[in-house]
Amino acid sequence: MYNTTPEIQEERVLEAGITYGKYPAKKSKKNKKGDLYSALLFLSPTLIIFSAFVLFPVIFSFYLSFQKWNMFGGSSTYVGLDNYIRMFKSAEFWSVLKNTAYYTFGTIPLNMGFSLLVAYVLHKKIFGKKLLRTLFFAPVVISPVAAAVIWRWLYDPNFGLVNYFMGIIGFDPVNWLNDPTAAMFALIVMGVWKTFGINMVLFAAGLEAIPQHYYEAAEIDGAGQWAKFKNITIPLLAPTTFFIMVMSMISSFQVFDIVYVLTSGGPLGATKVMVFYVYEHAFKYFEMGYASAAAYVLFAILFVLTLLQVKYMKNKVYSYGG
Amino acid sequence: MAKKSTIAKSISEHIFIYILAFFTIAPFIWMILTSVKDMGEIYVYPPKWLPDQFHFDNYAKVFEAAPFGRYYLNSIFVAVFVTVGQLITCSMAAYAFARLKFPGRNILFFIFLGTMMIPYNVTMIPSFMVLYWLGWVDSYQALIVPGLASAFGVFLLRQFFLTIPKELEEAAVMDGASKFTILRKIIVPLSKPALATLAIFTFMGVFNDFIWALIVINSESMRTVQLGLAIFRDRYLTQWDLLMAGSVTAVLPILVVFFFAQKYFIKGITLSGLKE
Amino acid sequence: MKTYIVIFAVLISLISLNCGNDNRSASNGEVEIIFWHSFVSSTVPALNELIARFEKENPGIKIKAQYIPTGDALIQKLITAIQSKTAPDISWLHSDFMEDLVEADAIYKMDDFIKGDDGITQEELNDIYPALRLYASWRGTLYSLPMEATNLALLYNKDMFKQAGLDPEHPPKDWNELKEFTKKLTLDKNNDGTFEQVGFFVPVFPAAGPLGPWTVWQFMPYLWQAGGNMVDSAQTHVIYNEQPGVEALTLWQQLFIEQKLNTFTTDFDVAFTSKRLAMAMDGPWNLPRYKDLLKNLNWSFAPLPAGPVKQATVVGGEYLAIFKQSKHPKESWKFIKWMIRPEIQAFWAMKSGYLPIRHAVLNVPEFREYLKKNPNFKVFVDQMEVAEAQPPIDYGALEITHNIAEAIERATIGKQDVHKVLDEAAVKSNLALKPSK
Repeated sequence: MYNTTPEIQEERVLEAGITYGKYPAKKSKKNKKGDLYSALLFLSPTLIIFSAFVLFPVIFSFYLSFQKWNMFGGSSTYVGLDNYIRMFKSAEFWSVLKNTAYYTFGTIPLNMGFSLLVAYVLHKKIFGKKLLRTLFFAPVVISPVAAAVIWRWLYDPNFGLVNYFMGIIGFDPVNWLNDPTAAMFALIVMGVWKTFGINMVLFAAGLEAIPQHYYEAAEIDGAGQWAKFKNITIPLLAPTTFFIMVMSMISSFQVFDIVYVLTSGGPLGATKVMVFYVYEHAFKYFEMGYASAAAYVLFAILFVLTLLQVKYMKNKVYSYGG
Repeated sequence: MAKKSTIAKSISEHIFIYILAFFTIAPFIWMILTSVKDMGEIYVYPPKWLPDQFHFDNYAKVFEAAPFGRYYLNSIFVAVFVTVGQLITCSMAAYAFARLKFPGRNILFFIFLGTMMIPYNVTMIPSFMVLYWLGWVDSYQALIVPGLASAFGVFLLRQFFLTIPKELEEAAVMDGASKFTILRKIIVPLSKPALATLAIFTFMGVFNDFIWALIVINSESMRTVQLGLAIFRDRYLTQWDLLMAGSVTAVLPILVVFFFAQKYFIKGITLSGLKE
Repeated sequence: MKTYIVIFAVLISLISLNCGNDNRSASNGEVEIIFWHSFVSSTVPALNELIARFEKENPGIKIKAQYIPTGDALIQKLITAIQSKTAPDISWLHSDFMEDLVEADAIYKMDDFIKGDDGITQEELNDIYPALRLYASWRGTLYSLPMEATNLALLYNKDMFKQAGLDPEHPPKDWNELKEFTKKLTLDKNNDGTFEQVGFFVPVFPAAGPLGPWTVWQFMPYLWQAGGNMVDSAQTHVIYNEQPGVEALTLWQQLFIEQKLNTFTTDFDVAFTSKRLAMAMDGPWNLPRYKDLLKNLNWSFAPLPAGPVKQATVVGGEYLAIFKQSKHPKESWKFIKWMIRPEIQAFWAMKSGYLPIRHAVLNVPEFREYLKKNPNFKVFVDQMEVAEAQPPIDYGALEITHNIAEAIERATIGKQDVHKVLDEAAVKSNLALKPSK
């Protein structure tokens, strides 16, 4: 203990853990338990904090979804599935769900296409690459409140630069944020603007990692730009794309900040999305139970979608040898 | 001939990317220009890009309106602490998920992923309750400790660690290196890009956080920049010029860091699929 | 292993380290009162002066004013604070969620103090504008007291009146004139089918958002002017879908649609400043900054146009309540009692630009001087005599407000039938009125 290096100590601790377990350390047993003890050591800082500030709250809100909870007083009553039943019967819930799907499936293709395009072009020899990347990343950094303030200016039907530019090209002014059909579009555009920088960074990294000799080999075979992109870039980017897909899905289904500050769910509820609905019930009507139930419906949807992606991508990724 | 078309293509790529960059950055430029206008000029139609006179004193006014110097120190202190802490905790956890074999590994990992799917709005109050039980309301720990564990960070790093060839570690194992040594001496140096990416995302997220800081902090002396900026808007009115000046001041430091640090985090991050 | 120990040690020390400074009582026997408010940065200097004056006149009590961002943020802060027993001594309240605070037994009844040793007389209490007292109560019991008042008047651009051939000294007196003038002031200068100049701003904001209640608040004067109200006096059912409500919403709908109004996504003051808007409803809180912002404009305030039944405006204001978690309720009450004194109200009104809460302030000589020099401010003070308040709804106030906001949004932006949207909102609201929420 006193004259050994910390590393050796650690091995001893691990060994001790195994040796003084229920059974004597057999080779097979060690394999089965694997690295349990080192894993615990490595995971403990995260696990402790995670349990207190993430896992407990998540479980607690699951419990609340079966309760009627007075947020001010703290008393609660068990109501069974009432919150869920009420939600499924509410027409508003279904329209909120539809809006969320609209936003998600409107944002993800645009966002991923756009960020891949920018990352791909910037991967070539471009003058001022570093500066350009910083510029494309800038929207990510701006706080949502400030960003929405600017976009509300841009979208203003009377003063806004968007209509001003559209007027120059000869379009009629659009009432972006007060027209139920235009508002969701306006929100998607802002959402893509605000978040594509993150994906651009991840795609840029993914592109950087593709070995140059693959392209060289393809060129010898006479492959054109598009063929190279389709046959080399896309498949080898699959792991990156997968990560981005999963994360984008989770974050667009949970879009809240920009909705809150840009459209507040309006006009006429056209941009009311799931987390906004959750928020409204939690902090406007103080129905935390109902809000938690809505949160768990969102969870269930996301979980299924993620599992489907995992299943689908696992085949894909392995078939390309990634 | 072939060369000519390559040049033409390169030029068109340049034009394309610069136009795109202009439109991306236009709102931001608008924000900067607004921050040096006086209120009258902000309210002009058709909109004016450039102010007649640059009111740089708006920036001074921001710092007079509230102790923003202190707010910056708080924000930076908290963001640095969380970022460094998260890099350590996440890389340890990610290493366990990527390299160690233990029962329940996949289930635990899916629990991590799953927690990202619950919106913050419903977990905020229970998290706050934990904080209260610990007696941390209105303290720096309240801003720091909950940020030290991150499912996103673990996910990101795990995906990266999976792509590092195992052979690199095997030699070290032969030499009798412990798992910590392997993580520290082999995995971490190879993962600089992924760590840098996580660092910038975390720093940004903490620096821009509003709602958590709002509910846990009461004292003036512990407020963050984002809380401070709220003082320029109330129920009835918005002080556009000051809000914009304040927001620009909040964004620039992160962009400067990004500009100089990007070579670390763009070079060679790759993310593998969910290997099991 | 060394690394691990170091990391763990840092974590543990971080957890055990307690840099929270929650000492509420200062060490030298002084009492410290925590006071939550949401004044914008431009009002903060006036607040500091006010507090300095209080502390000077009341040695031994320190007021620690803490700024809380407004609106939803205040509610979130209060909920979490009450749960964690870190509520302030005094806080601003909105009557919207008074019901929840009372039911959670979080705030004191004001009667406990008013009728106590250090109380105030009934006459003094009655001197406070009745509308404000109404807002400060829940189910007939006073749970808070106003710190200041606001109301809505009509802001208009005199030059535009002249250009449209109207008398700039004759702002619209009633709904008919409002409609007529609005039409004359709405101009399509270049004949492109859109109006470059708009006559009157109808404030419609998304019902679900933080500004939903704001829409309703500005709609209330019209409902009262037509002789209506939100709920019947026994609070058994809502009555805003009856004839007066229909008339008021029809007025808004007409004005909104005829002007092809887009509800300005930026604040209406942007439109007013840039000479694209002739009239709008506005409050006294903007007066201090208009002096500078509107220096190139010939503008004035006038009382809100009267409706078919009467003249009316809506009061607003900030209400102070004392929390049961307070360790110093007596000292907190001392502050509130001091705050409503006529000379302090006059002082605060002149410094902050808010309106005084009681009649007696009008007898303070400096204040009378001030009114002479500030005719626009006087418009608001005079209007306090016709200012009304929605009697606090016992149950489901937030939901009912939301339903009206939604009806307004549907009638204006959605161009739907007024009767239909009001009736549908009423059905939902009647369910919410029942106590077993």
